[in-house]
This record gives sequence, structure tokens and C-alpha cells, in this order.
Amino acid sequence: MIRPIWEYITGLFDVHLDFGPEFGGIRGRVQAIKPMVLDRWIMPPFGWIKINTDGSAMGAPGNSACGGIFRDCKGAADLAQLQATMQAIELACSSIQMHVNPAAAEATLLSLSQSPRPYHACQFILENSQLANARFQAAGAIRDAAIREWALLEAADRRGLISFCLCFIMNNANSPEGYVLVKVASVAAQLLKRGWPDFTAAEKDAFFLEVKEAVNGSHGLDVQFVGINFLESLVSEFSPSTSTAMGLPREFHEQCRISLEQDYMKAFYCWVQYAAFNVSSRIIEAHSEIPEVKVCSAALRLMIQILNWDFRGKNAVENLKRGIDVFYDGMKQENSSLRRSECIFVQPGHAWHDMLISSGHVGWLLNFYTALRQKFSCEGYWLDCPLAVSARKLIVQFCSVTGVIFPSDGGHMQRQHLLQLLAGIVQWMEPPDAVAKAIKSGKSESELLDGCRALMSVATVTTPVVFNELLKNLRPYGTLTLLSALMCEVSKDLMENRTDDETWSWVARDILLDTWTTLLMQLDGSGHNNSLPPEGISAAANVFALIVDSGLKAASASVLSDGDEYDFLQASVTAMDERLNSYALIGRASIGATIPLLTERFSERVMRLHQGKGISDPTETLEELYSLLLITGHILADEGQGETPLVPKEIESSYTNIMEVDKHPVVILSGSIIRFAEQSLDPEMRTSFFSPRLMEAVVWFLARWSSTYLMPPERSGENKSSYENCNETQHSTNALLSFCGENNQGKVVLDIIIRISLSTLLSYPGEKDLQALTCYQLLHGLVKRRNIISHLVTLDSWRDLANAFANERVFFSLNAAHQRSLAQTLTLSTSGMKTPEASNQYIHNLTSHMTASLVELSSKNDLKTIAQQPDIILLVSCLLERLRGVARASEPRTQKAIYQMGFSVMNPVLIFLQAYKDESIVVYLLLKFVTDWVDGQIIYLEAQETAAVVDFCMRLLQLYSSNNIGKISISLSNTLRTGADAEKYKDLRALLQLLSSLCSKDLVDFASEPIEAYGTSISQVVYMGLHIVTPLITLDLLKYPKLCHSYFSLLSHMLEVYPEIIAQLNVEAFRHILATLDFGLHHQDVEVVDLCLRAVKALASHHYKDSGAGKVGLGSHATSYKEPDGKFHEGILGRFLRSLLQLLLFEDYSTDLVSSAADALLPLILCEQSVYQNLANELIEMQVIPTFRSRLTNALQSLISSNNLSSTLDRINHQRFRKNLHSFLIEVRGFLRMFVLRGHCYGSGCFLAARLGWQHGSVASIDVKQACPSSIRPTLAGFGLNGPVLNGLAILEPNPNPSGLRAKWATIGL
Amino acid sequence: MSDEEHHFESKADAGASKTYPQQAGTIRKNGYIVIKNRPCKVVEVSTSKTGKHGHAKCHFVGIDIFTAKKLEDIVPSSHNCDVPHVNRTDYQLIDISEDGFVSLLTENGNTKDDLKLPTDEALLSQIKSGFEEGKDLVVSVMSAMGEEQINALKDIGPK
Repeated sequence: MIRPIWEYITGLFDVHLDFGPEFGGIRGRVQAIKPMVLDRWIMPPFGWIKINTDGSAMGAPGNSACGGIFRDCKGAADLAQLQATMQAIELACSSIQMHVNPAAAEATLLSLSQSPRPYHACQFILENSQLANARFQAAGAIRDAAIREWALLEAADRRGLISFCLCFIMNNANSPEGYVLVKVASVAAQLLKRGWPDFTAAEKDAFFLEVKEAVNGSHGLDVQFVGINFLESLVSEFSPSTSTAMGLPREFHEQCRISLEQDYMKAFYCWVQYAAFNVSSRIIEAHSEIPEVKVCSAALRLMIQILNWDFRGKNAVENLKRGIDVFYDGMKQENSSLRRSECIFVQPGHAWHDMLISSGHVGWLLNFYTALRQKFSCEGYWLDCPLAVSARKLIVQFCSVTGVIFPSDGGHMQRQHLLQLLAGIVQWMEPPDAVAKAIKSGKSESELLDGCRALMSVATVTTPVVFNELLKNLRPYGTLTLLSALMCEVSKDLMENRTDDETWSWVARDILLDTWTTLLMQLDGSGHNNSLPPEGISAAANVFALIVDSGLKAASASVLSDGDEYDFLQASVTAMDERLNSYALIGRASIGATIPLLTERFSERVMRLHQGKGISDPTETLEELYSLLLITGHILADEGQGETPLVPKEIESSYTNIMEVDKHPVVILSGSIIRFAEQSLDPEMRTSFFSPRLMEAVVWFLARWSSTYLMPPERSGENKSSYENCNETQHSTNALLSFCGENNQGKVVLDIIIRISLSTLLSYPGEKDLQALTCYQLLHGLVKRRNIISHLVTLDSWRDLANAFANERVFFSLNAAHQRSLAQTLTLSTSGMKTPEASNQYIHNLTSHMTASLVELSSKNDLKTIAQQPDIILLVSCLLERLRGVARASEPRTQKAIYQMGFSVMNPVLIFLQAYKDESIVVYLLLKFVTDWVDGQIIYLEAQETAAVVDFCMRLLQLYSSNNIGKISISLSNTLRTGADAEKYKDLRALLQLLSSLCSKDLVDFASEPIEAYGTSISQVVYMGLHIVTPLITLDLLKYPKLCHSYFSLLSHMLEVYPEIIAQLNVEAFRHILATLDFGLHHQDVEVVDLCLRAVKALASHHYKDSGAGKVGLGSHATSYKEPDGKFHEGILGRFLRSLLQLLLFEDYSTDLVSSAADALLPLILCEQSVYQNLANELIEMQVIPTFRSRLTNALQSLISSNNLSSTLDRINHQRFRKNLHSFLIEVRGFLRMFVLRGHCYGSGCFLAARLGWQHGSVASIDVKQACPSSIRPTLAGFGLNGPVLNGLAILEPNPNPSGLRAKWATIGL
Repeated sequence: MSDEEHHFESKADAGASKTYPQQAGTIRKNGYIVIKNRPCKVVEVSTSKTGKHGHAKCHFVGIDIFTAKKLEDIVPSSHNCDVPHVNRTDYQLIDISEDGFVSLLTENGNTKDDLKLPTDEALLSQIKSGFEEGKDLVVSVMSAMGEEQINALKDIGPK
């Protein structure tokens, strides 16, 4: 029973192929390969012929049969086939839902959307399938296919697809599966956008006419609803942030956006406004929920969305014309404020004025919401029903309308507008205490929250004064008072229920804080000091007092909660910091009340501490003090962020009448805190009160405070005159600053601070965080300031610190990194000494002990034995860390002493490197020390010293290399193995840094005589170094991005600056460098590729110039030769030329690279003219189609000849070649990449077609299963012929790697 | 190195302590520590506090250098921990016997025959194949707290 073969192929008659026994085995195989395939044939696109062939044999030799079928696009578009497709898709959808073999089902669905022209089938499914999911998938498939094939579609087809989608949603408006409609609507929107620039205005209007009618409600509510929905997807599709990329450039999206904004946006708004207006009256009349509600809330949502649109107005168009980059000007609006909740300006142009402002639209909206509020008791309406939510959101949105929409009448119109809104909004949150009470008893909080959001929007678009006045028109008090009352209620609620969940009061607090921040930041920025009205100041004072008290209460309550939440706290530290910043803004706004309040609270707590001494548990008070210290620090001083912070303006400008230092409130507050801190020096007090956590706050406060107030630099004269009321301000500032000035208390306070630091370092063993704060923030901050340093070095306490550090063993129990930082700090402080000699002597004293013990240790006979002892390892690593700290603080005046220090340990370093070759920590420290030391020293060194240092570095490199090359660590544990890799990477990175800093000697050199006097050549040294290091750098290690980057930047630097030396490297090293270059060329990181291209350019240019001048150039490396065994070795430049062309023509890369690729390509072509000709011929031969062939030939020709390209390597020529390459790539890359495969598919079923004279096209259909022998099939897959496989049909796609393909083709004899 | 010195050295070795005390706060990642009487390499250190105003504690995660088992410990950071004395000695590999023992050449010309090959197949094959190819292999033997194991392999190659 032999059936006609085509039956098996088309599968029309049976969904599961039924092969007769005479085709034994085939069935099993099909199923094994593709457990679930779309069992149907899919027609080829128009103008194509698809061939399916099959053959079978009963044994070999034995009976065999074969056949084939050719069909075009009309071949099988009949009902049965559509039906079959639908069934397959439905099956796939339901199996995904039931989670049966989802991967195969997904593949089926994918195959539908990836098949050519699936529109017929999809439309069929959409119209006929009972399964909503299948319809959903079909809509998606239409989208995918249409976007992909858009360029190939006829104009009529494009329009047809869009109107099909539109008709579909209108006709099925009442369907219960809303998500299908939404999907189809979004497909329509996307297709419309895809064709937007091509459609004429009339065509667009035709689409929108339908939509407009729908939105007007002339076809019923359901249609109205879907119409609005469609507009919603359209608007979001056209808005850049929510659009689908569709593989199109940003310019395209930008143009669509501008066009929609100009031509249609207002019309859309008008339509929905009309729709909402109509249905709203019916809603208000009705007494229960009616279908209009759905339409109305959709309309409101769309209005919100349109108002959210990022309006650009006319400027955008002009900018685009002038070529100004419109993409980045959106960034400007992002202010770097502390606000957490977003508040976007709504800035439609003045064209919107009549619609939004003067038409009474706002009034209608407010009335509508008021009417709605009264219906909340009715069934179907409640405070959080979608309609109410959208209405409130829209109202809030209106609060942030600003910009040119208001006429320039001094803000009068805007004030009216806001007043109208506020009158409505204020009802939601007044009176605050009653509202809060209602919420506590179960009322929804959303009105209050939206009210707060509205206040924030208003605050964003107005100034504080206007903001406050607004409410005064309606109420006896101002808006700020309302704000502070709200804040009070919220804080009260926060104090009462302390839960971990985010309650409404959390959200409300954040919004209100943001509102304050917005208002107060404006004050800060504009420089008007007194623009907050008096009422506002007292409101702020109230709020701040409440904040402090609630903060204290929260602190004492939280003290008992266990350390479990420690992780949580860590994560919220930044949030906490931001919150403290906003608190500080509020506090500073009412500085007159704030400072006394803080002083009072602080002394109260300290008093309580002393009274309860020995009697009660102080922990609660400690925590309260902790939080007080934090908030006080934020109020009194700003964070420097690298600069010296000034006294905050608010503090500077208040208290202008206080002349006496001792009575200045800020001085009193700071004084009391410092006195409190001083108590920590008493051991008894320390153990009973100063817990590590409190100490952290103390140290943090001292660091922050001292950077502003301690010995501030003198004000310059010109600064004084810039203040109008300079006399008064100046006095007060003087009073404040002179308290801790250099002549007053400054020295005493500094002494206290140093003694406190010493005690935190010594008396809190193991408290890493505290010590880190002391080392990095406090001490490091002090030595950054010149006028402090000069006093610092005269203090006994500082000398004590230095002595203890150098001599006492206790310091070894500090964290090693902290020791490094201390050493650095101590070294930096020497710049305060009067003479360089004194500084050098000081450093000598500081380090002599350390170097001596290193030298002594290294010269011990039994070093090998004792080196491995943990105590010795600890000692060595601590000493090395310290020396590294000193080395990092290199400055010209101390350079001599630090050089001496390094010089004296050169030998020990090498000895230790040998002794600790297996102790990775110590090795890393050794390398880092040398790197930092060389980096700080190299440019100052005299020729003789340089020679010594260079020699030392080479020995170090050689030793490291001999210890590590060929070494394999063996460990059972994966973690340890990867750890070992990471260590290796860090070591190598340090070595590369060392080489880079050696390089810098050639660029910057302060030595008195040239280093060549001692026969040192930096370039040779660095190449030597590279030679030693490169074998250690495996391709695996280059996967570490940082290492990769530093390696290639060093390499390209070397090749650019000293190309002549590379020729002198031996073959092994040379090959290694080239291999890594080749690796780098194919790296994903654009920067790395760029570095490699620069390196290649340098190599080739050098060779070209040198050989032009009759010199050797790269010598034997560049020439091709044949080895005795017949293997052909291509010269390296030819190889690079080949791989670069390959990269440019066939692979994916960033367009940024084209210019640097051009720079590299030109010298390569000039060097290897013949190779280039060969390559060009190969490329041309690959083209079969005559038109393309001639196009390619011309393009290749003009690449090297147009624009008067000459054969020199000067700047102008490089620029010309860049242009040429750009136009060359534009010309040929498109079709070359498409047709890579075309030349190679003769082996399979295509040869049949070729015989028949079948024109090859961009996509070749080969029936892989049947036309190719089974042995090849897996190979085909290996080649990347990864088209979607439909019933064994593969759509072959361009192969990324044509040469590989050709080679393999050849090996299997095709 | 003369014989006499070597004698002295081995004597010192015999008397050497197996562990040393060190403050917990100074033990760093990648250092060594004794946890539950096993020598470990520290792969993770974190600090926490006992209560808000209490003292710092160090939380160590270590991996046993011989068995690769993961161990954890919490120690107040001002207290002392035991740190093992981890020693590494290089020997040239002379032979691999069939029962899995290796024969190593010590610096003074004697042989050391009491070490087994590692049990892990992959590591085993690395050593074996290297040896069978006739490479000059140096193995590094790590010893701590009375145990020893081969932990690294190096091809010193023809020099």
C-alpha cells in the first residue's frame, strides 16, 4: 500500500504523519527529533517556489523510491489547510495552559509568527477560533510577521492589515475576552506607527474617522470602550518610553512622536473629553452601577495618559531641523533633588489653553468628583472604585499643569487655576485630625494620599509664598499650616503603630516630606533667604519638633528589637540618610527654634544618663542620643562630597545680633556635644556609656562637624563685599567661626578629637565599623585641610598617635586596611611641617621600625620554616599594608624618604615573594605595595635610581612568573578553585598596573638627567615585562573585564608608542600577543575592540612606513612563507586584513567602531595589496546574481580609489578613507550578509532548483529533513542553519560564519 | 643547605605549634582559621552586633582545606581564634605506585612514600597523565594540624 508521496509531505490528510511500513523507521525518527511539530505545510512567499522532496530505501542496496513536489504561494491556500493550522495553534495554546510540553508548544507558536506571510491563517484563526488564547497568539503573530516583512508588503496589504484589526475590535467589542481585544488594538497601533511616515494624511484620517465615531459613542458603549482602548495603546505606542523598538532607529520614533503630538493629540483629547462628559451626566443621574462607568473611567485614564505625554511643543520640531539632539534634552528636567516620589510637570503648549484651562473642563471634573463622592454610599461606588481613582488622579495631574499654557500675566491665571483645584482637594483632607481618625477607624486612606500628592504637585509648580497664599483665599490659615497639621497627624500615627509593614502613614510621610523638600529646596537654590513666610517658619518649627520627638520615641522603642533586623537596617541606610536630609531642610527652615530645641533635648538625655548611672539600663537613652547626634549633624553641617563645605546659609544668616562667642546657640550646641564626646576618654565612662554604636555616631558627628567649623579657612575679601548687609552677617559668622578658629578653641578641640580617635582605635578591639569611620572619615578628613595640618603636627596627642602606631604591638590587631589608611594619614600630615627636611625625618622615623623588622625577618636563616607561621604572616602583611599606605601618600617633598623606605625593602620583598609563593594573600600585598610605590615614585626618580627600580621590577616579574607559570591548583572545592582564579586575576592586574606606571616614566619625567644615561630604556623594559606577563594571561583570565581592559590598553599603548620594539620580540611572545589581539578584536566590549583596532593600526602603519623607508619593519613576522611540511603561513598583516574584513562585512558590531576600523584597515590594505585583491576577488566570486556582483565590484573599487585617496598615512588620507569605508559598508553590507549562504546551498535540495533555473532569493527554503542525507542534518544544525523548522522545512537564514561553513561543506563532500 | 642545618630545621618543625591564636577581627577573607577543630580557608567574613549597643561579632564561613566541607563559626571580634599553621613543601614526583601512593623526592635526596594521590578523579587524571607524558612534575604538599595532602602541581619543564 504505497500512498502518493506528496500526501506524506503535505500532511493534509492526517495531522500525525502516518508512514507506511515501507518507509520503516521514518516515523520514529520524526517524532524523536521533533516531538511536537506544526504538522502542516506552509506556503512560500509570493514569487517563490518551494520544493519538498523525499526518498526512501529498503536496505542498501534495495528497493528505493523518491519524489518531489514544487509549489508556489497559491499552492495550498485552501480551507482545509487553514483549519489544520488553527487546530495546531489551538492545541499548542491549550497545552501551554495545561503545562504539557511547553517548550514544543512554544516552538509551534513561534513557527507561526516566523513563517512567511501568515496573515491569512492568522485572520482565519482570529475570526473562527473558539479559543481566546489562540486568537491572542494569532494577533501576536500578525504583529511579528508584519513588522518583519513590512518593507516587502504592498501598500494595500499594509492598510488592509490595520483596518482588519480595527474592524475586528469594533465588531467584537462585546466579546468577554477583553485581553484579546487589547492585544489586537495594540497590534493595530503598532502597525499604524510602523507605517506612520508612509501613510498620507488622508489615509490616516480614514483610520481615525472610524475611531472617532466609535469614541463618540455612536455605535454603543462597548464600541466606545474599545475605541478609547485603541487610542490608549496608540498613545502609549507613540510615547518613546513605552514604545516597542520594532528594530527601528530612534529618529523614527521621535518623528512619529512629534507628528502625533502636533496633529492628533489635541483631537484625541477632545474626543475622550466629549465622551467622558456625555457619560458622566448619565452616571450622576443613575443610582447604581451602570455600564457607562467603564467607559468613563477608561476615558479618564486616557486623559491622564495624554496629560502625562512628554510635550515638546514647537521647539522639538525646530530643534530637529537644526540638527540639535532632541534625545537628550529630556534629561535636563531630572533634577537631582532628594525626592522619592515622582512629580512630572505637565507642560502642554499654549495651544491647549482653550481646551484645558478656559473651557471650564477643570470645573466639570471637580463637580463630577464631588457628585461622585456623594454616591459612595450607593452600590457600585466606593472610595477606591476605578472611576473615583482615575478621577482623583486626573485632578492631581491638573495640579502640575504649568508652562506656556498659561498666558504671561504674572501667574495670575495659574493661581486661579490652582485655587479652583485646591478648593476641591482641600475637602479630602480637612480637618486633618478628623480625617486621620476616620482612617484609623477603617476609612480608605486614598483620598488623603491623593490630596497630599496634589499638594506636592502644587508645591512643585509654585513658590513657597504663592503656595501658602493659595489656601488663605479659602481659609483663615495658609497652605503651609495645613501641611504641618497633616504632617503632625501622620507622625502621631507613625508613633502609635510601629509596624514593619508600610502603612498609609509611611506613604503619606514620604509624600509630605517630599513636599517640604520641594518647597525648601527652592529657597535653597534661589538664594532668597527670607522667602518663607513667618507662618511657614512656625509651621516648620512645629513639624521639626514633632519629628525630633517622634524620632526619639522610635529610637527608644526600637532598642529592644533584636539584631535580626540588622540586614534590613543596612539596606535602608541610604533611605534613612535621605530622610534625615529632608528633616534637616525642615529644621533649617526654622533654625531659630531648632537649635535651642536640639540643645535642650541633648542636655536632657545626657543628664538622664548621668542620673541613671549604675541604677537603670542606659540603652534607651543611648539610642536616643544616637539619633539626636545624627539629626544634629545633618542640621549643622552639609556633607562635603570632596569639597570643604561652608556653614549652611540658614545658620549663617540667623542670629545676626549675637556678638559674643559663648552665647551663640550653635556654639552652645556644638560645645555641649564635644564636652559629651570628651567624656568617652574616661575609661569608666567609656565602659558604662559609650557603646560602639554610640561612638560611631560621635565619630561621625565629629567628622562632619569638624569639616565645616573646625579652623575654617579665612574668608577672602571679595567674598565679604558680595554680601549686602555684610557687617551684621559677618559678625555673626565670625562669632560662630572664631569659636573653633585657629586662635581660639580650635587647637583644644582638635586635641580632643585626636585623643578620642586614639581611644577608639585602642579601646574598642575588633569594632571594625567604628575604626573604619575613625580612619577614613574623621582622621582622613582632618589631614585634607591645610590649616588644620599645620596645627596638627604640633600637637602632643598627634605625636603620641604616630609613636604608638610605629612602635606598639596593639596596632597590629587593627584591621590591615585600617592600618594602611592610618599610615597614609600620618604621612600626609607631614605636609604641615615647616621644612622638607623635617618631613623626611618624620617619615624616616615612622617607617624605619617597619622596614627594619622586615629586613631582619627576611634575613633570618630559618625564614623558610617560620614564614608559614600565622603570626609571622600576620606581621608581614600588616607591615606591608602600612608601607603601602605610606607609599600611596607620596608627595614631592616627602619623595626622598619614601624612596629610601622602598629601596631598603627591595631585597626583602623578593625574598618574601619566594617564601610566600603559595600564600596568595601575602603575594598580592607584595605586588600591590610595589605597584603603589613605583606609581608614586617613578616620575621623580633620577636616572640611577630608575635603573635600580627597573631592575628590581624585572626581578620581581621574573620571580612571580617562574613561581606561577604552569602551576595548577588542585582542590576539591569549587569555591576555592574559583577563589584561586580570582586571586590570580588580581595579581596580574597589579602587575599590569606596575608596567603601566613604568610606562609613564617616558611621558613625565622630573629627573635631572635623561635615564638613558644609565642604559635604561623604558620601552624595552616594558616589553620585557609584557613578555614575562603575557604567558600568564590566559584567554580565560581575559574574561575578567577589568583585567581585559587594562591588558589591552597597555598593549595598544605600547604598540602605538613603540611599534619598533615589537619586531624584536621572539616568535613565541609575538605569537601570544597576536593571539590575544585577535581575541580582543572579537570581544563584545566596544572599548576593547577599539583598543585592539588601534593596536593593529599602529602595527600596520609602522610596517608600511618602515618598509617604505627601506627598513625591515616587522621583518619576518609580516611575510608569508611556506613551512617545510607544506603548511602555508600567512603574514600577520594579511591575517589581520582578512579577519578585519570578515568582521566588517559579516559580523555584528557597534557603528562606533567603523571609524577606528577604517584607520586600521587603510594601512593593512596598503601593506598587503595583493592579499586585498585576492580577498576582493573571492568576495566577488561568491556573488551569483550579476547585479549584485557588479555592485560589489564597483564598491570594492571605489573603497580604495574614490575621494582622491592616496597611499600615504596622513591625517587627511585617513579621514577620506573613513568616509569611503562608511559608504562602502552602507552599499554592500546589506546584501552581502543576506547572501552569505546563497553561494553554498547547492549541496542540498537547492541543486535541483538550480538546475531548473530557479532564481535564488533572500530566503532559500530547503527541506532539510528530506533533501539532505540524514548524516548531514545534524551538521546543518551545527552550521547555524537555524530557521524555524516546520514539518522538516527549514527557512535558511544568513549564516554568520561563511568561511567556516564553506570549509565544512567541503569536508562532507558537498 | 647543609645537613646540620636541615637537622635543626626538622627539629624546629617537630616542636612547632600546630595553631596560633589571633584576634578574630584581624582574620581576613582568604586567610586560615580553625573551625570545629578543622583547618579552613576563610571564604566569607561578616560582622554583626549583639543587640544594638553591644559588641561586634565576626561570622566566618570557611572551607576545610582537606575535605572541602563548608563550616561556619561566630566569634566576638575582640576574642582570639585559632589559626592553623599551614605549611607547603615542594617535592619532585618520581613515581606513582599502583596502589595510589606517590613517591616524592625530598630536598635532601631522600624519598617520601607515605602520601596518597588525591581521590578526586579529575585531579587524579591530571597528575597521572602529566606523569605518563614524562613531564617533570613538582607537587606541592600542604600540611596542617597533622594532615597532609597534595594541593598543587607544576610542570617545571625542561630548563
